[in-house]
Amino acid sequence: MRPLVPEVTQHEQGSPGNAISRRAVLGTAACVGTLAALPFVGRLFRLDDALGSPSKAQDARILQLVLQLEYTQVAFYEQALKQAGLQGDLRAFAQAALAHEREHLAAIQKALGAKAGAKPAFDFGPRTKSAEAFRRAAIALEDIAVAGYNGQATNLTKATLAAAAEIVSVEARHAAWVRAIAGEVAAPDPVDKPITAQEAARGLHEIGMRA
Amino acid sequence: MDGFPNFDEFLMTLDRDGAIAETSSRAEATLSRRRLLGLSLGASGALVLGKAATGRAAAGLSAVDVDILNYALVLEYLQASFYTEAERRGALTGLTARAAKVVGATERAHVEAFRKLLKSQAVKRPTFDFQGTTEQQQPFLKTAVAFEDLAVAAYKGQAPKLQSNAVLAAAVGIHSVEARHAAWMRKLFGITPAVNAFDQPASRAKINKIVASTHFVVSKPQLKRRKKPNFTG
Repeated sequence: MRPLVPEVTQHEQGSPGNAISRRAVLGTAACVGTLAALPFVGRLFRLDDALGSPSKAQDARILQLVLQLEYTQVAFYEQALKQAGLQGDLRAFAQAALAHEREHLAAIQKALGAKAGAKPAFDFGPRTKSAEAFRRAAIALEDIAVAGYNGQATNLTKATLAAAAEIVSVEARHAAWVRAIAGEVAAPDPVDKPITAQEAARGLHEIGMRA
Repeated sequence: MDGFPNFDEFLMTLDRDGAIAETSSRAEATLSRRRLLGLSLGASGALVLGKAATGRAAAGLSAVDVDILNYALVLEYLQASFYTEAERRGALTGLTARAAKVVGATERAHVEAFRKLLKSQAVKRPTFDFQGTTEQQQPFLKTAVAFEDLAVAAYKGQAPKLQSNAVLAAAVGIHSVEARHAAWMRKLFGITPAVNAFDQPASRAKINKIVASTHFVVSKPQLKRRKKPNFTG
């Protein structure tokens, strides 16, 4: 399986010993059985099989996936702003993105009410510890969010689709923004390919969701 | 389109469940020809489409979806022509020139994809006059930002109205790409790429009004071929 989040290089990491052990951990955990056994990741893993025609009940199941996406983004930006030594454009981007993700999270928690799942545990490792590792992981995470939302478009009721559409384009703006900061091509594909809930779960685990 | 084999491949994979090919009797039964004409002729401004489609929808698409796709096609024509013209004039430099090249190729790919989907029911390309905005970098960027933000709002407004799941899946994949373009052009123009946590949709009436106000569209898009001009000597 091709990783959805790029490996952290030794250069980005600083300490070569950790890079190897982290790689080993990711490699082992990436097997489907292990991921499916984790409470948060596992629930997302099984979502695809449970999907049928759009309904309010199904919207709620999909919103749990979206909730985990937003929890991950909020935690990722919070930690990076504390630990990655972000400056200039990259810091401004992380601050703006964090503010947006917090609003998304609040909106989804409100929509789910008492059914909203708890915040999972995270270990972002070196990805929130240096500016360049953060930048590359942020691109991956925002791309996962865009593809994850897009992947559920046809499974949602029209009302929830309309609400989700207001969020997904902001995630896409973040993805382009953080690419553009380093002068990269900010919109490399003519169309964004969707991913399944299972792929989104794998991506969130690769970046650091640990439960 | 050359350079973008992935896009066709993507549309083909979307068609796996046969949704594009499925017949659209439901939509044709509920949407009368009169109402379709009303939709097309009711809106004012330069984006008013030509005569409503008669006969069978292209590729089994519903009349509603054909209508929305033609509306999207006009916006894609507008964008593709804008970037193509800017590139040809050669007034752009550096990162902006590169972005215009990439985004222009993408918008042209969108045009081709929609034309392929709509077949004979695709509206024809209108004639544009970009009022000098393709001749200098700053006016170009300002216009590009406006076009891309407009496209994001337009797709967002139409997506929940699409009836075919295959078309919806393609449309959301284009919608988020337009948002990437918007952020990119904003960054190059020196303004915040993502202003709010939530992007608002815009109605067709509002989009038409904005586009009309630019005077960029100098001939209306036509659904049917015009008659041959009379011999004028």
